[in-house]
Amino acid sequence: MPKAITTPLTQALAEGKLSREDLKSLMQRSNSKSLLRLALWLLMLATTSTLITLAWDSWLIWPAMFVQGIILVHFFSLQHECVHYTVFRTRRLNDIVGQICGLIIILPHRFFRYEHCDHHTYTQVTGEDPEMIPMPKTLREYLLYLSALPYWRAKFTELFRHASGRLSETEKGFIPKVEHAAVYRDARLMLTLYVGIFAAMAIIGWWGLIWYWIIPLFLGEPVMRFVRMTEHVGRPTVPQMHENTRTNMVSAPWRFLCWNMNYHAEHHYVASVPYHALPALHEKLKDHIHVEPDGYIGAHRDILRQLFARKHG
Amino acid sequence: MAEPVWRDVIARDVLEQNWVTRVDFGQRMLAIYDTPSGIFASLALCNHGGADLCDGYFDGHVIECPLHQGAFDVRDGRPVGAPATRPMKTFETRVENGIVQIRA
Repeated sequence: MPKAITTPLTQALAEGKLSREDLKSLMQRSNSKSLLRLALWLLMLATTSTLITLAWDSWLIWPAMFVQGIILVHFFSLQHECVHYTVFRTRRLNDIVGQICGLIIILPHRFFRYEHCDHHTYTQVTGEDPEMIPMPKTLREYLLYLSALPYWRAKFTELFRHASGRLSETEKGFIPKVEHAAVYRDARLMLTLYVGIFAAMAIIGWWGLIWYWIIPLFLGEPVMRFVRMTEHVGRPTVPQMHENTRTNMVSAPWRFLCWNMNYHAEHHYVASVPYHALPALHEKLKDHIHVEPDGYIGAHRDILRQLFARKHG
Repeated sequence: MAEPVWRDVIARDVLEQNWVTRVDFGQRMLAIYDTPSGIFASLALCNHGGADLCDGYFDGHVIECPLHQGAFDVRDGRPVGAPATRPMKTFETRVENGIVQIRA
């Protein structure tokens, strides 16, 4: 009889860490719960946008834009949840919201979806995981990654490559042939939309979006790089999920911002569980996964400790 | 090849209600779906990555793979969400005297 592949979920079920009833209950999705959370999220964004407006003629606009940027870059977390179809019960809503998030943070949704599938299949497997962030070898590499400069270089290269009708060999490995044209179309549409937005601003003579969106996005991205490093960097580069992924215990505001994606090992164990059920899943799995009690700061202490140990080892 | 005939699979009343139930059926593993419009059946393994669809999220007529959240409509097997791009194998299904049967 053909057998299902072994996944962290099948292992968790086989080892009794999770029951089938637990799984069924944890996987339930809700439109209303997520729409309410999204409304709060947008209210938070409206508040930081107001701060930018109030600080318009002073140097305080820079910290205001930075705070706005921290929220903007966390649209990645929402988009990531949409990629897994776990934000809304209605699948189409996940697609729509995910695409809007992608437009805000310059990450085409369809492409991210395919790339992210391989990240879940080959988490932390060197040469196979397309989202793998390598462990930095030097402090310079560490700081360079946090600057987000390599990230933006990679993302813009990717976007223009797709718009010109090309995929890298790695991308050809995870995007099915029938979707190549759609990936190219998405990139072209995205670039056309950005050109249209800038043209519209030039025509009406109002450049506000640069101050409310573009500059904050670039100011905020190092924060997202700081967060993303904590998920896998410094964990062993092995396929075992209980070792290769880090769950970070962070405070409520950070959990709200990242849509509970700090429960990263739990998410990798059962990617069908929506963000709002991850704390409950954590209670079931916490003795079987790697948990960093000191959150993002603790994770970076761990990364830096390993970095300096290697350097002086 | 032999003509497909109706074969017993599982008793209707042991199916998980409004959910998916895994059944070993000879050399095959089947997923039997209890939906608002009746019982449907497919092969249990996702044709994208080989994961067991019976551990996935099921809602209405859509089964979602637990590994990558690709999705299929269980009524006809058509893919309704990436990375699923090919239809999954489904079976004609009926309930006779309280037993779910498939034509195979």
